[in-house]
Amino acid sequence: MARPHIEPYVELNDPYRAFKVRGFRGCQYKTLSLDVDTGACTLKIRFPGGYRRSPGLSYSDCEIFVLNGTIEAGDALWREGHYCFVPAGVALPAIHVPQGAEALLMFNDAEPNFEESGDSHDRALREAFTSLNGYEDLPWFGLGRVQPSVATGCLSKLLRQDPLTHATTFLYCMVPQFAQDNISYHDCAEESYHIWGTSWMMQFGELPTGGYFWRPPYINHGAFRCRFGTIALGRTDSKLHNYFHYNPWSNPWENLQRAAGQGYRQRPLLYQWEMTDGHNHPHGPADFEEPGYADAASVARLHR
Amino acid sequence: MAKARAKAKAKRVQDLKPPRAADAAAWFKENIALQKKRYAAIVKEQNGLERDRQKWYANFLRIIQTKGFNANGDLRVKIPANLIPKKPKGRSRVVF
Repeated sequence: MARPHIEPYVELNDPYRAFKVRGFRGCQYKTLSLDVDTGACTLKIRFPGGYRRSPGLSYSDCEIFVLNGTIEAGDALWREGHYCFVPAGVALPAIHVPQGAEALLMFNDAEPNFEESGDSHDRALREAFTSLNGYEDLPWFGLGRVQPSVATGCLSKLLRQDPLTHATTFLYCMVPQFAQDNISYHDCAEESYHIWGTSWMMQFGELPTGGYFWRPPYINHGAFRCRFGTIALGRTDSKLHNYFHYNPWSNPWENLQRAAGQGYRQRPLLYQWEMTDGHNHPHGPADFEEPGYADAASVARLHR
Repeated sequence: MAKARAKAKAKRVQDLKPPRAADAAAWFKENIALQKKRYAAIVKEQNGLERDRQKWYANFLRIIQTKGFNANGDLRVKIPANLIPKKPKGRSRVVF
């Protein structure tokens, strides 16, 4: 069943727990969401002052976003707002956290795992490694990154996008007095952590600082309000399309059918081909540009 | 074909992960149980919002008829009364 619908969850109300897994001993964590089949998870992690870890790798794609404090990763300094995508098998240098730090830590394929190694795995996708400061290195994107678009006042910064699935990690903010009067759903799972600020959604009420959700596809959310402003980290597991409507009582199955109905109307030839007997390829249709795409981890995890 | 695909799949680092160690297995089991409790608490809390939620829905349906519905970005479309959806029987559900 992958990850359940966790919305809303305010982690600030719960205590940290001791992290008793190799590579993280001495740290504390809170689990925000967990895939009960694979162990893939999103955690909030607290590194104590003086924490050190040897160089090493994970067998899962990992993402980290530094909420506060400074992490020394080899020669690099990851300060507040720093984001890294570490592909499975890519070795990180030795880590030192002199004064303590808190971060969001995401394992996309498996439970938290770590193996000491000075070298990356020979099959690691090294070129996908991403490291930047989301606060300092990118401008806010104020226009509709996706069409149909959110209303003016919801801005975003794209931290990373998977080239095959368009799974996206991004910062977003809502300006004070932001309002959007529609109900939205997507084909993708969507995740968010409120770094600061409170926003409101018509189904779930207020989501304050430390508020979190993991929302499976096709679940209604919105209308939206934000009184004093909010900044948050968001993620999707595949391409995000905004399906807007105004029926508060539609359910995920009805929303999925409505989305498929749009495909029937707007991409009729593709819809007909997909529905034709014998074209139901379990590993996806051939793509002359990406012949091996079905074997990419980011694609495979969507079709488990 | 299947053999070739299996060979290609084995190229992923993820597929070469060693078996789950005892500490990780214990962590996994414990956190599945904790998440079940968390999910149940969320459902209970959200069910408790039902009265407020019906007011929020009513206000939303009023706004989209007067100020308009955000169809795309800031483009607002006023929805005529005959297109406003009716509440179905039974309790509405927001957590799935």
